[in-house]
Amino acid sequence: MDRKEKLNSLKYSIINSIIPILIAFGIGAIAIILAKENPLSAYGTLFYRSLFNIKGIFNTLHFAGPLILTGLAIAISFKAGLFNMGIEGQLLSAGFVVAVMGNVWGELPKTVLVPLLLVVGVLVGVIVAIIPTMLKAFYNVNEMVVTLLLNYAIIHILQYLTENTFRDPSSGYVSTPRISSNAIPSRIFEDYRLTTFFIVAIVVYVIFYFIMKRSKLGFEITALGQNRNFAEATGMRIQKKIIIIMLASGALAGLAGAGWMMSEKYAYTLSFSGIPGLGWDGMLIALLGSHSPIGILIAAVFYAVVKTGSSNIAIFTSVPYEIVILLQALIVLFLSLKVFVKPKELKLGEPSVPKKRFKNLFKGGKE
Amino acid sequence: MEVIKTVDLTKKFGSFTANKNINISVLEGEIKAIVGENGAGKSTLMNMLYGLLKPTSGEIYLRGRLIHFNSPDDAILNGIGMVHQHFKLVPSLTVYENVLLGVEINKEVSIGNKKFKTFKVDQKQELKLVNDLIEKYKFNINANAYVKDLSIGAKQKVEILKMLYRNVNILIFDEPTAVLTPQEIEMFYETLRELKACGTSIIFITHKLGEVMDIADSVTVIKSGEVIDNLLVKDTNNKHLAQLMVGRDVLMHVEKKYKDYSNASVIYEVNNIKTKNKWGLNCVDDVSFNIRQGEIVGIAGVEGNGQSELVDIISGILKVTDGCIKFNGNDITNFWPDKLRKNKIAFIPEDRYEQGLCKEMTISENMIAGYHDSPDISKYGFISMKKRLQKSIDLINKYDVRVSKIEGLISSLSGGNAQKVIIAREFSSDPDLIIASQPTRGVDIGAIEFIHKSILDLQEKGKSVLLISSELSEIMSLSDRILVMYKGKIIGEVMGKNATREEVGYLMMGITHSEENTNG
Amino acid sequence: MNLDFIIKVFSDSLYFTGPILLVSLGGLFAYKAGVVNIGLDGMMGIGALASALVLFYTGNWLIAIIGGIISGVLIGLLFSFFGVTKKANFIITGFAINLLSTALGKYVLALEGRTDINVIGTISNLNTRIEIPLIKDIPILGPIISNQTPLVYISFILIFVLSFVIYKTKFGTYVRVVGESEEAAKSVGININKIKYLAVIIGAVLAALAGYEVAINQLNAYTADITAGIGFIALAAIYCGDGKPKTVAIYAILFGLTRSLATNLAIRIGSIAGLLQIIPYLMIVIVLTTVAIINHRKSLYRGFLDE
Repeated sequence: MDRKEKLNSLKYSIINSIIPILIAFGIGAIAIILAKENPLSAYGTLFYRSLFNIKGIFNTLHFAGPLILTGLAIAISFKAGLFNMGIEGQLLSAGFVVAVMGNVWGELPKTVLVPLLLVVGVLVGVIVAIIPTMLKAFYNVNEMVVTLLLNYAIIHILQYLTENTFRDPSSGYVSTPRISSNAIPSRIFEDYRLTTFFIVAIVVYVIFYFIMKRSKLGFEITALGQNRNFAEATGMRIQKKIIIIMLASGALAGLAGAGWMMSEKYAYTLSFSGIPGLGWDGMLIALLGSHSPIGILIAAVFYAVVKTGSSNIAIFTSVPYEIVILLQALIVLFLSLKVFVKPKELKLGEPSVPKKRFKNLFKGGKE
Repeated sequence: MEVIKTVDLTKKFGSFTANKNINISVLEGEIKAIVGENGAGKSTLMNMLYGLLKPTSGEIYLRGRLIHFNSPDDAILNGIGMVHQHFKLVPSLTVYENVLLGVEINKEVSIGNKKFKTFKVDQKQELKLVNDLIEKYKFNINANAYVKDLSIGAKQKVEILKMLYRNVNILIFDEPTAVLTPQEIEMFYETLRELKACGTSIIFITHKLGEVMDIADSVTVIKSGEVIDNLLVKDTNNKHLAQLMVGRDVLMHVEKKYKDYSNASVIYEVNNIKTKNKWGLNCVDDVSFNIRQGEIVGIAGVEGNGQSELVDIISGILKVTDGCIKFNGNDITNFWPDKLRKNKIAFIPEDRYEQGLCKEMTISENMIAGYHDSPDISKYGFISMKKRLQKSIDLINKYDVRVSKIEGLISSLSGGNAQKVIIAREFSSDPDLIIASQPTRGVDIGAIEFIHKSILDLQEKGKSVLLISSELSEIMSLSDRILVMYKGKIIGEVMGKNATREEVGYLMMGITHSEENTNG
Repeated sequence: MNLDFIIKVFSDSLYFTGPILLVSLGGLFAYKAGVVNIGLDGMMGIGALASALVLFYTGNWLIAIIGGIISGVLIGLLFSFFGVTKKANFIITGFAINLLSTALGKYVLALEGRTDINVIGTISNLNTRIEIPLIKDIPILGPIISNQTPLVYISFILIFVLSFVIYKTKFGTYVRVVGESEEAAKSVGININKIKYLAVIIGAVLAALAGYEVAINQLNAYTADITAGIGFIALAAIYCGDGKPKTVAIYAILFGLTRSLATNLAIRIGSIAGLLQIIPYLMIVIVLTTVAIINHRKSLYRGFLDE
């Protein structure tokens, strides 16, 4: 593509990401009016406090860390034509195990414990992803259904473990014991919540970006996502690639879970990942941002703005915090339409099939 | 009486004219063959008659009445039906359910003198109607069987029944014999005669001239979207039709030098390989052959006799259950496609947009696919964008690929140019052996010449080629040695230099020399 | 274990099976028509919200049911318009509908400043359970089968009605044909989009009714997590039963039983009984894997390219 075309296609992908957001905010405005508030000032609060002061910006970036990773986790599986809907379960499992080990290994020095726990999170994410991955790679079992439904099995299991085996008896609510302070990554600036975990997320993102965009592996994964037969026939060994990408996706989810636990939550509770959950947030980010290289970063930051902003909305206006979930649902809904506008493309003559005549379904008999 | 008549029928797709001023007429109760090469415009013409495409200009008359069809439904209501090459049947339904699909009969109940329709489909009544139809046309098929259990020939009959049930009296067949075995073709002829006897007019599209001579009453030859001639079959012969169809004999321009390869070293060896399809049938059954250095070996055969599966095995995407394959003396049985390429075997796959190219990726991405780890463009597992683009530009120039944008998508190329991308990619990898499957299918005559010339050039350099094609003329004009595949086996071998169409043609129908002699 | 306990387990399993059965029987139409609808859970939640709101403000259960059905039709239309007409990715649209259901529920509750929409007062005069004469007097079986809500009985009757619709009527045949071969459907003039719309809407309406059943009849209150994953359990039943009404129903009944066991055993053996709830999700993995292994045993193609 030459420069002009690149700009053109970028323009369209930006438009296609922004239109669903605008529609969602438009419908969200109705909800805000129902809450007897002025939508414009409510949205102003939403963005102002999380974007236009230093504290807000660092807060936003702090929340963006895990979102970048879960967004990336889903985006790479989409890229390969796979649906890893199990990000949430993988993230929860990693968060849980890290919470437990962060307490058990509490004596280890910070420089050892923090990286160790991140690795543990990655491993847990991979292990949870193994079953659907192998079933997909070796038996072509529908990975979407399996990963989606296994989330709920994982939630039940973790709930049981948190309520019983690993419950902190001294806590007033259902929770695991708090992780050791050695397990908490240090803050980048003393006064703000942003931790070194954010840097880890960015580094991982850059590495993945280069692998997907420039490497042989990335090329093969793209081909696999576009045309499986073609990929196999040109020697790309799709079975191996499916395994790599599904496990990598699980690893990213696990890392996100570990990071969220260590930098924000410090103990596993039943609402560890929030509503609808960081893994599900990743879906929105992947859909919003997969058009362009830094798309996922921008989308993650955008969504973090909305998320942090929504708590401000709840504090400063009478609009409930839940507006953010509503906006998210609407954005995903309209993003599912994929494209609102399309660049004009010259197509060679394809026979156009005329529309079928309307036929009454229940009118019977032979014609 | 003329049942169908077209006057100056023309169809354009953008700037491309697929049909130009077509004038044909079909008489009541006759069997009309429309012949032409791939891409000559036969299907476009039929799709216009069947309401799938709207003519750009010109008229269609049905029994003298000017008609405009908006959809196939209109065509069927007017008595024109079509049997597609790829059947449109529902495997999990029975024969009779398929026949009545879309026109089901609801069961009626009578209360007093009044009749009421229920929601229940009257399966008994439907079965009876279909059985009546089967009896009338002597079809010998079980109306209660599930379509998934039927042979291809029987499925074709179901498609015909579907049309007959809808009171169609003009039937269009699109390449009806392409997927049939020789016995089934015989039975298909029977069916056609039966239909004709019942007063149905038949139009069938084909590029097999033998069939025209066997069954048709009249024939129309189409080339490059125009009618070349309308003839009665009794006034013509195979050779004459072939000449009309091809116009100038393109293949004659390929200068093929025949040499004796019997002393050349064997580089590729296939020994007794077998494999099964998903129904557990041996679709490749004990196949053995070899290819010598510098030799072009052709595999001929009617489509569906195991050639596709054989190519899939050779390309490493289908595993064998038995036998072995050797290349330069090394065992390469069940090697994965990437390893085969590393061994310097290159592939031109049968299905261009399924296995050969990725429509959604750019030309330059497709140009390197399969060779994307070759050291000239990639290092340490990373691909250089600059070198990739440069390589692509070089190949586009060298192989004369006509592109509007260098970094455009493959889907923006015509069939011939898309095929050239594959040729460029595979030939430039400096292979010792090329497996070329249907290399000229659906491409224009210019590209055919170019591809044939490229293959012969490669041979000049001492490379070997395995050519699999259902175009007999292609096989005949390029191969040093011709193998014929029939029902999953290689049933004969002919030297290319002195092969005749008749000889290979007999083998393609499963008639070997010994049988020929005993038969007469 | 005593007899009362066993009767309670089976009686409760019918109670739990009702909504699962409604959602899965409805959802199998879309499955058969080749539309993956993972939004069933959300459709159920929206149905529950709509009927609870209507009941809360009108006090009339009939209008509430109608409200639920209308919400089902609308959400089904929304899904079809996106997924079928606009050819959006079904999975993402379905996912969005699940999100939307939670979001709407949470938002409405937050606006009203409550944690649930309680309808006990509005329906106190309404007996939501039916005693079946004669049957209720049969020992053991009587107390299990009798005294369930009407929708439980309806859901069981629907197994046979919908099985008839799928296999014996024109519409059912078309649904199967559209799912199996759009080409074939098109060639005989079947309006594919219309069939898909209807299939999705049937699922959405039955899911909404299940929402009514749980929110109004069973719990007498709407909360944002009212579905408790029933939509996903139904999805598991549909995939395990490959969309065949009677097989799907068997799985739905089985999953109802595991729910009942999880609840009833919790009193006896403690919270570990809650782990029984993962059975439906494990079942889907086992069934899909078994089916896939059987199907692929013979395939010699690499990367399953012959599909």
